[in-house]
Amino acid sequence: MNLNHVWNIARKDFSGISQEKTILFAILLQLFIALFSSFLMVGLTAMYNPESLDDYGRVYYRVGYCGEDSPVLIRLNTDKTIIPFSMDLSTAVAALKERKLAAVLYVPKGHPDEQEPFSVTMYTLKNDIQAALIEMKLKEILLAEEKELRQARISRLSEIPVSAAFPPGASKTGFYEFIYGVLIPLLLFMPAFISAALIIDLITEEYEQQTLDTIRSTPVTMKELIAGKLLVTLLLVPAQAGMWLILLLLNGVFISHMVEILILVTAGSAVLILMGAIIALHYADRTKAQFIFSMVAVIIMLGIVSVPYNPLHIVAQLASGTILLYHGMIFLVILCVIILLTSLVIRMTDARETVS
Amino acid sequence: MGTVAQVCTIAWWEIRRFFTTMNRGMLPAAIVLLVILLLVSGYAARSGVHLQDGLYDIGLTSDAYLPLFGGDDRFVVYRIPESESYFPPASYGLDLIIADGVVFPDETDKGRAAAQALYRTYERYLSSVYSNQEDIFAAYPVWIANEYITSELDFTATESGQRIGFNQPGQRGYPRPEQEVIPITPPQSTPDLSPEKVRETILASDTSDSALSRYSDLLSADYAEESYPYQTPAMLSPPLPFDTIIFIFVFIFPLYFTSQFLMMSVMHERTLRQGEPLIAAPVLRITVIIGKSLPYAIGMLVISSVLLVLTGGKITALLPLIPIILFFLSSALLIGMVSRSFRELSFISIFFSTIATAYLFFPSIFANIHVISLLSPVTLIVMDIQGTGYSAMDYLYSTALFYLTGGVMFYLGIVSFTEEHLFTQKKLVSKILDLITAAIHPTHPWGSVFFLTILSIPFVFMAQMMYLVLFFNLPMPFSLVAILVLAAATEEIVKSLLLMALFNHNPIGLSWPGVAIASVLIGLGFLLGEKLLLVITLSQITSSIFGSLLFQSASALWSPFLLHSMGIFCVAVAVKRYGNKGYIPGLFLAIMVHCIYNALIIRWALA
Repeated sequence: MNLNHVWNIARKDFSGISQEKTILFAILLQLFIALFSSFLMVGLTAMYNPESLDDYGRVYYRVGYCGEDSPVLIRLNTDKTIIPFSMDLSTAVAALKERKLAAVLYVPKGHPDEQEPFSVTMYTLKNDIQAALIEMKLKEILLAEEKELRQARISRLSEIPVSAAFPPGASKTGFYEFIYGVLIPLLLFMPAFISAALIIDLITEEYEQQTLDTIRSTPVTMKELIAGKLLVTLLLVPAQAGMWLILLLLNGVFISHMVEILILVTAGSAVLILMGAIIALHYADRTKAQFIFSMVAVIIMLGIVSVPYNPLHIVAQLASGTILLYHGMIFLVILCVIILLTSLVIRMTDARETVS
Repeated sequence: MGTVAQVCTIAWWEIRRFFTTMNRGMLPAAIVLLVILLLVSGYAARSGVHLQDGLYDIGLTSDAYLPLFGGDDRFVVYRIPESESYFPPASYGLDLIIADGVVFPDETDKGRAAAQALYRTYERYLSSVYSNQEDIFAAYPVWIANEYITSELDFTATESGQRIGFNQPGQRGYPRPEQEVIPITPPQSTPDLSPEKVRETILASDTSDSALSRYSDLLSADYAEESYPYQTPAMLSPPLPFDTIIFIFVFIFPLYFTSQFLMMSVMHERTLRQGEPLIAAPVLRITVIIGKSLPYAIGMLVISSVLLVLTGGKITALLPLIPIILFFLSSALLIGMVSRSFRELSFISIFFSTIATAYLFFPSIFANIHVISLLSPVTLIVMDIQGTGYSAMDYLYSTALFYLTGGVMFYLGIVSFTEEHLFTQKKLVSKILDLITAAIHPTHPWGSVFFLTILSIPFVFMAQMMYLVLFFNLPMPFSLVAILVLAAATEEIVKSLLLMALFNHNPIGLSWPGVAIASVLIGLGFLLGEKLLLVITLSQITSSIFGSLLFQSASALWSPFLLHSMGIFCVAVAVKRYGNKGYIPGLFLAIMVHCIYNALIIRWALA
């Protein structure tokens, strides 16, 4: 194999991609998804965690309290972010409708120390994102009340659970698992799918535009042609994945083991790209090849995420800096698959060579 | 031969062509893959998602804490000696240590996340202990009945930068309703809480903790509401349906996939001029296009119906899917017509489908929560399957833009389905310009431009709705500025495209009076189109501050007209004077003018 020829083919295909500015779409797409993620982050966090908007001044919730006095009223009074108003239920609900209150609590007669359960009716606005906030706030207060009442009735419990005191903030919802366990692995493997779709296009195009014969009339062999195409699609992966890493870093997401991640993502992508190449060589028609490949891709994705220590899982672990188990072995497995698929591609190109 | 017969013939050719390309060696492979897919998804459903296994490393001083973890794969547990438990977790490479009944997380994001994750499993552990108690009301002494009060959905909460019921200026002092107070009977003082029912409710809420809901508990389903009116405090969770994300993939993905075949079919007509006989045939272009798209449209409807039957939905849920099908097919047609190569086709279609999916997806996550959800037809499907139903107005609001843009794209595809356009290779932008130019009437260019400007409005609206959806729940100043700049840029770019098509149409370009006429006409068309489309836009959106920014409905007629004409005039003069080089600076100037005008409008609206 003449490396010069391979390089020339890669250059030809790359200039084709950059000339059409198609790569621009890939970058735009990347930015769009980044925007999507920040929408998820900022938008949803703000929705569910009003403290994240604390820079906008202190937030106070006005809550109507109706019915019997109870320890809950004392809790509402001591909470710094809640301003309770004792009032009549009908007035309170009317005020709530006009958004002059954030929520209304109604406590019927019945003392908490009694045998009976302590029941509270909570009125909140339907169809409002912000109503969810006050619900979360009241949840904290009612949880504290539940804990105290449970403590008072402890003699009635037959089994006492192991106690564990959590630091403040543990009850909040974080996005750590979503970012490191879902977003990062999926985003980093997205270029792999793009590149695999690209190699199918590059190969089938030569068949359908009937440019294969033209290229074959030059000293370039079929093997070199495919190698060049594989090279250009493979090189795009670390470039795109690297851009993802930079975008994530700019968003303030710290990622450890970046070099290892890039190597792993590139190796994993090589498997997909080789599969794309095999399918494209077999069908020599874009519609068929893309159809079969999308099915294969869905199967691989589904199958892979349901097995522990899959490449996406390893990326999640690497990115979060977790103590790693078995990742060397996984890498070896991927390497074996790559070698296997490469030999298959070589055999297929050999077959094409002799046919023509 | 009647038109219907012609359409049928072309549709039949298309079907035959589809099956001949797909037949050779494809069917066995497809069936084998489908079987594997079913097996794999069965396995995946059983085994769950393994992306976060072993994410957290936890140190324990005693085996007594082991029940806390309840077999959660996310935690890897190590025993550490009691005497060394006071060192920071990081010194062992751990994220969290439990010692003496206290949880010590590492002072990092990961440590805090570990504590949060452990807190959830601890809650689950507690409820597994408490729900087995003989005396259930000792374990769960507090019960909450949640009553939802309906207050009309609108943007007032977000747009004033304040949130409902928060202490805001003018709201100090005692809350007094302005409207008449309707007496409410207080809930009964002794609720009918039966221990059996209560135990059931607790157990039901426990089992709902699936691998999906763990990602964050804000994606929880509202299970307790329907089954039993009382909840424990721990069960309180905001009602955000997770279903929509699944719906998107179940319904939208097959549609997108099928539209790919039309894209390929159109592309095939173009490679090696294969479509020449079809164009030469004595049939109208519209017949060809309808005939070619019809089999795919029917296929999509069949697939959707099957999916609906499988998911137990009603067949009425097909109605919101029709505009989506139209939209996907028309865009597939155009993408197939403008792409120069397969790789370009792939990239454009991936890009386009992501945007379209996002447009369908973003609003629908607010289903039942915010009025903005009605921007997406998927919300209607969600409502239909939930059994809430939707009104004819809802249908109009959420599908009108899809019908209109789909129709316009089909129109553009039909007018440019000619030899000249199909068999030339051009850059994407100039190809799109060609499409628009093809729609300009040779003898009545001015009328065409006016008409095309009106037709461009649905696209502009769609883009602006997208910005609204993306940014409306950001904190106030940011959301407004982002929407302001992006909306101005979109309007100016669309107008300038029309202008460039006009320059393109006339080989000698436009004369100076032509520049003036074009500016006036485009400005007028924009104004008229906006007014027409406002009728089918949600009033809650148009009357919000975002609406006054986007549509300027608040101000008089002449000022938006002047603005639109001014903007396009900037571009026209720049292009006329400096040629194509003047386009970008002219566009920037126009966007600047537009932004300044919008900023003034906002100040006026806020005052």
